[in-house]
Amino acid sequence: MLDLSRRSFLGVAGAAGGTLLLPRFALASADPRPSITIAVQKITNTNTLDVLREQSNVGERVFFSSLWEGLIGRNWGNKLEPVPLLATEWRRIDDKTVELTLRQGVKFHNGDELTAEDVVFSFSRERAFGTTEPANRTTVSVSGDGIPQPRAGMELPPEVPAVARRNWPDLVRVEAVDKYTVRFVNASPDVTLEGRIARYGSEIMSRRGWEEANSYLDWARKPITTGPYKVVEMVPDTSLTLEAHDEYWGGRPPLKRIRFVAVSEVPSRIAGLLSGEYQFACDIPPDQIAEIEANPAFEVQGGTILNHRLIVFDKHHPQLENPLIRRAMTHAIDRQAIVDALWAGRTVVPKGLQWDYYGDMFVSDWDVPAFDPKLAADMVKQAGYKGEPIPYRLLNNYYTAQVPTAQVLVEMWRQVGLNVQIEMKENWSQILERSPTRAVRDWSNSAPFSDPVSSIVNQHGPNGQQQQVGEWENKEANLLAAVLETSTDHAERKKAFRRMMEICEREDPAYTVLHQNATFTAKPKALKWKAAPAFAVDFRAGNWG
Amino acid sequence: MLRFLSLRLGRAALTIVLVVTFAFVVLRLSGDPAMLIMGAEASPEAIAAFRASWGLDEPIWVQYFAYFGALAQGDLGMSMRDGRPALDMVLDRVPATLALTVPALLIKIGLGIPAGIYAALHRDSAIDRAVMVLAIAGFTVPSFVLSLLLVLLFAVKLGWLPSGGNQTLLHAVLPVLTLGIGGAAILARFTRSAMLEVLNQPYVRTASAKGVPWRRVVVGHVLPNAMIPTVTIIGFMVGNLIAGAVVVESVFSWPGIGRMLVTAVANRDLAVVQTILLLVAATMVAANLIVDLLYGVLDPRLRQAPAARGGH
Repeated sequence: MLDLSRRSFLGVAGAAGGTLLLPRFALASADPRPSITIAVQKITNTNTLDVLREQSNVGERVFFSSLWEGLIGRNWGNKLEPVPLLATEWRRIDDKTVELTLRQGVKFHNGDELTAEDVVFSFSRERAFGTTEPANRTTVSVSGDGIPQPRAGMELPPEVPAVARRNWPDLVRVEAVDKYTVRFVNASPDVTLEGRIARYGSEIMSRRGWEEANSYLDWARKPITTGPYKVVEMVPDTSLTLEAHDEYWGGRPPLKRIRFVAVSEVPSRIAGLLSGEYQFACDIPPDQIAEIEANPAFEVQGGTILNHRLIVFDKHHPQLENPLIRRAMTHAIDRQAIVDALWAGRTVVPKGLQWDYYGDMFVSDWDVPAFDPKLAADMVKQAGYKGEPIPYRLLNNYYTAQVPTAQVLVEMWRQVGLNVQIEMKENWSQILERSPTRAVRDWSNSAPFSDPVSSIVNQHGPNGQQQQVGEWENKEANLLAAVLETSTDHAERKKAFRRMMEICEREDPAYTVLHQNATFTAKPKALKWKAAPAFAVDFRAGNWG
Repeated sequence: MLRFLSLRLGRAALTIVLVVTFAFVVLRLSGDPAMLIMGAEASPEAIAAFRASWGLDEPIWVQYFAYFGALAQGDLGMSMRDGRPALDMVLDRVPATLALTVPALLIKIGLGIPAGIYAALHRDSAIDRAVMVLAIAGFTVPSFVLSLLLVLLFAVKLGWLPSGGNQTLLHAVLPVLTLGIGGAAILARFTRSAMLEVLNQPYVRTASAKGVPWRRVVVGHVLPNAMIPTVTIIGFMVGNLIAGAVVVESVFSWPGIGRMLVTAVANRDLAVVQTILLLVAATMVAANLIVDLLYGVLDPRLRQAPAARGGH
C-alpha cells in the first residue's frame, strides 16, 4: 500500500502544481541549444502541412527552410537564385526531359535514406496527380502508370491533384534511372522544367512515411520530409512545434525546438515579443515598425518578397470598356508616395509584373506607367467620361495597409477627374462576384519560379484567375502566353514577355502594379539571425548565431 | 410542471431551428468556403475541385435539405477545412473555454454581488461612489482594451504574467481577470439597484420598525427579494459560458470555442459554425430553465399556479 504522509502528499502536490505553472520549454532535457517561439498571424490556411494543399504565404513561412526541401532550392539568404538542395546537379536530356543526380546520405525524419524511389513517389498519382492527365499526354507513349486505387483514408483532397496539375500541366512521369538519378519527362517542350522543380509544391517526401500514415490528415499534419526540423505536434489554429532533425544532411540544426503560435492580433504579438514570451513576432504592419524600434533592444527585419500588389480592372464594366480610362488610372497613381507614406519607405516600386530573379528573362528597361496626372486627366477627357461612378470592391486590410492605400488611390483618381467609389466587401467571393458593380479590385501576384510563366501567364493568361472569372481577355496576349509556355527560343520568349507586359500594363490594362509587397519580423537585436527576402524563415546552421 | 417543461423545450427547439437556418442562409450567401479556405491565390481548378467535393456546386436549397437531413440523424457534418467531424472538433475546444469562463464566473459572482450589496447598504458613502465608479469603468471599457491594458501592465511592464497562449495555469490568469472584471462590474451595478429597490419597500420599513435586527432584515427579507434580477443576470452569464470569450480568446491566443467560431465564420466552415451555435443555444436554454426554477426557490409565490395567486 502506498504510504503517503501529509507532508509527503503536500510535497508531491506542490511539485505537481509547480510543473503546471512552469513553461513547457523549461521541462525540456539538457540540450544546450535554444528553443524559440514565433508568433504569427496564422500558421496555415488549411490546418495542414501538405505543400500541395497549403499554397499560401503563411505556408511558405513554416515550410521553408525548416520542414520541406525540394531537389532544387532557393538561396534564401541572397536573391532567391536556384541552388542545389536534394539534387547536387541537373542536366537537360532534351527539351522535354531533365535528369537530376540526388544528394547521397540524405536522411528523412524517420531515418530512411532518400532515394530515387521517394522522388518518383512524390510525383505519383497516388500522392499528387490523382486522376488528372497532362494537357498534351497523347504526344508521348506512356506505359505502366495506371491509376491506383488509394487505400482507405489516404484519398487525396480534390484540390491536391488540381494544384499538382497546375504546377505541372504537362508532366508525364518522373522515372528512377538508378538509386540516385531521376528524370522528369514532360509531354511537350518546356524551358521552365528546372523552375518547376524548384517551385513551392515540388518538394520531396518519404514514401514509407506516406504508406505508414493512418490517414491523409494524419500524414498532412506530420509529413516525413528531409528538412532540418521535424514535426512534433500540430494543434490546429493554435501551434506548430518543430524539433531539430539531428541527422540533417546540412549539419546539426542550431535550435532545439521551434514553436509557431497563432496570435491573430497585432498588439498581442507585439506585447508578447516585448515581454519575452515570443522571440519573433511576424506580420508586423509597417506603421508599427518605428514604435517597436523605439526600444533599442528590438529591431524589425524583413523587406520585399516575391509578391507584387496590383490593382485589377474588369474591362467589361461600362466605365472601363474604353482602355483610356484604365490607362488614365495607371498614370494617376503616385506609387512612390504610397510606398513612403504607408510602407515607411521599406518596399519598392518594381519594374512591372516581374522580378530580378527572372535572370535573363528580366526586362530591365521596362517600368510601371509613369505618374503623370496631366496625361491622365487628358485621357479622361479624351474618353468622354462624365463622372459616372466606378466601383472599387475592397476587403478590410486583407493586404497590408489595404484600406488606407485604397483611400489614397481614390483621392489620386479624383484629382484627374475619376469618380471611383469604394465598396467594402467581406470576402473574396464577394469581391469576384460577377455583377454590374464589378470594376476595380485589389490583388497580389507571386512568382513561384523564376520565369514569367509563373506570374503573368499563370495569373493573367487564358487559364489565369482574371480571365477565368471573366474580368479581362486579349487575343494577342493569349497567343503570347502560349509562346511563353511552349517556345524554347529564348529571344522569342523574351520578346513575347515584353509584348505581353505592353498589352497588360499599358495598351489594354488588365492590372497595374502598385508596389512590391513586403513582410516584417520583429525580434530582439541580441538574436543573430537574418530575414530572407521572402515569407520563408531560415533557421539552418548558417543563419543563426 | 410537465406542460411548463414541454412548452419551454418546444420553444427552444424552434429557436434552434431558426438560428441554424438563419446561419445557414447568411453564411452560404455571403461567401464561398472554397475560395475562403483555399485563399485568393488558389488556382481556379483547385477551387472548382474543392466545391465539387463538398457539394457547394449544388443549389443552396439542395445543400440546406441535405444538411438538415443529416442533422436529423444526429450527423452534424464534417469540417470543410479540417476534414474531421465538426462535433469532435468543437468538443475538443470546450474544456479550454470552460477553463476561462468558469473561474471568471466565480470572480464575477464573488466580487460583483458583495460589492453591489455593500454599496447599496452604504448608499451615497465614499465607498458606494468608489464601487460605482469602478463598476461603470469595468462595464464600459471594452474587453479588448481592458485585456491589452492588463497585458501591458502585468506582462510587458512588470513581467509577472505571460501575455498569451495556454501552456500553463499562469497563462489563464489575465484572460480570466479580463472576463471576471467586466462581469463583476455588471453584477455589482445590478445587485446595487435591486437592493436599493427592495430597501425602499414598505415591508422592509415595517420589519425595521418592529425592531427586527437590521442584519436579519437584510439577510431574511432584502437579499432574497433582491436576488431575483441578479439571478437572471447570472443566468445569462452561465448561458454565455461556451461562447462568451470570443474577444478575450482572440487577444490572448487562447484555443477555445470563441476563437474557433471566429475562424470558422471567416472560412464559412458551416458544419463547425452550426455545431457551435447548437451548443451555445443548448447552454442558453439549459441556463434559462435553471433560472426559471430558481425563481420558484427564491420567491415561493412564483411556485403557485396563477389562480392560486389570485391571477386570471
